[in-house]
Amino acid sequence: MTIENVLLVSAALFAIGAYGVISRRSLITVIMSLELMFNGVVIAAVAFSRFTPSAALLTGDPLTAEAIRSALTGHVFAIFVTAVAAGEAALAFALVFAMYRSTESVEITDASEMKN
Amino acid sequence: MTEISTLTTVAFWAASAMTLGLAVVVVTQRDVFRAAIALAGSFMGVGILYFVLSAEFVAVVQILVYVGAISVLMAFAVMFIQDIAAGSRPSQGRLVGVIVAVLVFAALAFTAYNTEWLSMDELPRVAQIALTEGYAEVGTGADTRVVPLDDVPEGDDIFVDESAGVLVDSTSALGVSLVRKYMLAFEIIGLLLVAALIGGLLLMRDPPEGKKPESETGGVSV
Repeated sequence: MTIENVLLVSAALFAIGAYGVISRRSLITVIMSLELMFNGVVIAAVAFSRFTPSAALLTGDPLTAEAIRSALTGHVFAIFVTAVAAGEAALAFALVFAMYRSTESVEITDASEMKN
Repeated sequence: MTEISTLTTVAFWAASAMTLGLAVVVVTQRDVFRAAIALAGSFMGVGILYFVLSAEFVAVVQILVYVGAISVLMAFAVMFIQDIAAGSRPSQGRLVGVIVAVLVFAALAFTAYNTEWLSMDELPRVAQIALTEGYAEVGTGADTRVVPLDDVPEGDDIFVDESAGVLVDSTSALGVSLVRKYMLAFEIIGLLLVAALIGGLLLMRDPPEGKKPESETGGVSV
């Protein structure tokens, strides 16, 4: 397991999500694919945190606890992205329901109008 | 040591296969409910990947938020919307989708394999020990520095604060980061989640009968 392998998995997940976003018609599947893309990005962040040293650690002299904690910046990023994704999913579904109520459809081609 | 790294490699590839395989099911399956179940499995695979990458706290967050909350939200959405039985039809953009996905993947993989990533081995010895085994914070004020746990100087007037290494004890180090260095971002995320909650409620209200009465919209303003 090297950083290249992990980044490869992350890129594959992102690409699969991108395919889903472009090729699906149902808004629900599009949102699912978006979540897959989010996950791909977060895997990359955690991988960088695990395998590459942070700048503060490389130059840190004398070493401080703050510099050591900077090795976990990727984890902090992962948690923030997860929180944003959760909020995004909740709002996106609320929008899908609102659209379904007014147009009786969840297809992306019917979503060109956002009135009411 | 070799056995542990072999085990890690096997776990990594197994979790990757699970994640990617189920992700392909998500984007190709016509039955949206099956896609939602596959999505939950894919999120679980990502959680296992985080465990393998020694990011335990992120892994637990992943399982709680994605598998526990977002997947349930997806399942509810699928059950609420009636004409989902028609399935999720692919759009005309299928070929475009394949081309874009392959290009994105090729670009990212090319970058991953052609960049000389810095390695953890290039860190000074003290930093490596601090990351994996444990460290002590010595001194106060501007003189604060970090030494390996077995190099702690003797003396009564030296302040010593012992911690296990960051990669060993990532959860507590993460907690300290969140409330010190990333305090502002942490607060803004809280605000964002409240805004998402109120926005979601506002959008999901029962549709008003005819014209909206003033009392219904006057109470909530975002």
